[in-house]
Amino acid sequence: MSSPKVQLRLNGIRKSFPGKQGPTQVLDGLTFDIHERDFVSIIGPSGCGKTTVFNIIAGLVDPDEGMLMYRGQEVDSLRGKVGYMMQKDLLFPWRTVLDNVLLGLETKGVDPRQAMDTAREYLSTFGLSGFENAYPKMLSGGMRQRVALIRTLVLDPDILLLDEPFSALDYQTRLYLEGILMEAVETFHKTVILVTHDIDEAVALSKRVVVLSQRPARVKAVHDIALNEHSPIAARSDPRFSSYFNTLCAELDIQTRASA
Amino acid sequence: MTEMAQLAKTSVRRHLRASKRRNVFDSTAGRSALQILAVVAFFLLWEVAVRMEWLNAFLVGQPSGVLHVLVSMVADGSLFVDTGYTVFEAILGFAFGTVIGSVIGLTLWYSAFVARLVEPFIAAINSVPKIALAPIIILWFGTGLTSKVALAISLTSIVALITAYQAAKDADKDLQALLFSMGASKHQIFKRVITPSTLPAIIATFRINIGFALVGAVVGEFISSQHGLGHVIYVASSLYDLNTVWAGLFTLMLVGFLFYQMVEVTEQRLLPWKQQMGGTQINV
Repeated sequence: MSSPKVQLRLNGIRKSFPGKQGPTQVLDGLTFDIHERDFVSIIGPSGCGKTTVFNIIAGLVDPDEGMLMYRGQEVDSLRGKVGYMMQKDLLFPWRTVLDNVLLGLETKGVDPRQAMDTAREYLSTFGLSGFENAYPKMLSGGMRQRVALIRTLVLDPDILLLDEPFSALDYQTRLYLEGILMEAVETFHKTVILVTHDIDEAVALSKRVVVLSQRPARVKAVHDIALNEHSPIAARSDPRFSSYFNTLCAELDIQTRASA
Repeated sequence: MTEMAQLAKTSVRRHLRASKRRNVFDSTAGRSALQILAVVAFFLLWEVAVRMEWLNAFLVGQPSGVLHVLVSMVADGSLFVDTGYTVFEAILGFAFGTVIGSVIGLTLWYSAFVARLVEPFIAAINSVPKIALAPIIILWFGTGLTSKVALAISLTSIVALITAYQAAKDADKDLQALLFSMGASKHQIFKRVITPSTLPAIIATFRINIGFALVGAVVGEFISSQHGLGHVIYVASSLYDLNTVWAGLFTLMLVGFLFYQMVEVTEQRLLPWKQQMGGTQINV
């Protein structure tokens, strides 16, 4: 296999936040690559700064040091090129499902009629026809997150930043949405970076997993996940699944006994 | 299971069933009937108390007398003229005050620097009892309509300003971040997140400001005027004509009540996403 093309490179990213007892170093020279059409999960101990990495990529936070390279060019951030999706669905409560999906297209200044057609098409692809005029509070958690996913995809972003998008859902709904996500990524040829604390999810979905250390975070290891299939259920029944799972657990020093 | 426990269980079940029994008056018609009954009883008691000379008609007035005054004011049309003046002043004061205040309050969101700079001044202005400004406002704007509107604006605008500014500051940061990551400008964030998310708070100030606008109009009329319900009340009270005072007050009460109903309807129109749909009713 020829070496894959690098789409996004994070190089020596450092970030600290002011705190009561002086600044807290969160990211300590973070360096890793994201390939074209990659699916990378970032895992690490809680509070290690995973979300900060996303905020830097999305341009919500500026790094203290280090740089981002996008397709060989140094950039400040990927603001406007990414689709950011968080654990909270962040649907606008005063907008209907259709208007929520239209949000990004409006922001981008897409012709309203064309935007409307695109939005309706996506809604029907993802089985939400008939809910266009519903307000978010009328929908179930899984449906709301599905709308959030459509809102992210409809913008046709270069990279999807998914910050624990399914962690508030029950297991069945989560498997279902993971399936939808994988199909969408396949259909639309998307690059995905997924932050998760769920090792199981990371192994099942990713091509590669980046393990971060305790804060201040550095890259501890990068693992290639070579499963035949990355659909949520098939992946979990692959014979290699559990060995990857165990390796990553060991990497994170997960302690399963109370007195370790 | 012991006999005691069985007994306790039955009594709990019986209690639950009893509390589920519907109150016969707990319907729209039933509630209205009770409310009307209370009002009628109040006036009857008042009338009887005056006729039996338990109360002094000279000091408290008399419902039959109030009714008599209202009928004659309707007959000569003065009730509508005076109510019209007060309502017009209050509506203008409410509309201008709420719009000016909300716009300034929202605009302060644009610059945290300016907002922090003017915050103590806003607090200072807010802490002045605006009614104390009435004499100056009459000096500046004369004894006509303008001064009453100005007084109402001074009361309503500051409430709207503070509420709008606070609501804009409290607008969901995550929604703003999401839009920003999509490449939205500050103006787009203002339009798509700040304005709609402050709307419920701004509409909530409508209720308060309806009252304040009437206060402004009536106090302005107290100080100097030729028309208006405030004028009617003030003149009548200086003549110890309590029945006319009550006629003016009850008309004001009715006006305030109708304004309040209009706000309710406006709220339902402007905030369709806030309406309760389905959901589980719990018996607390």
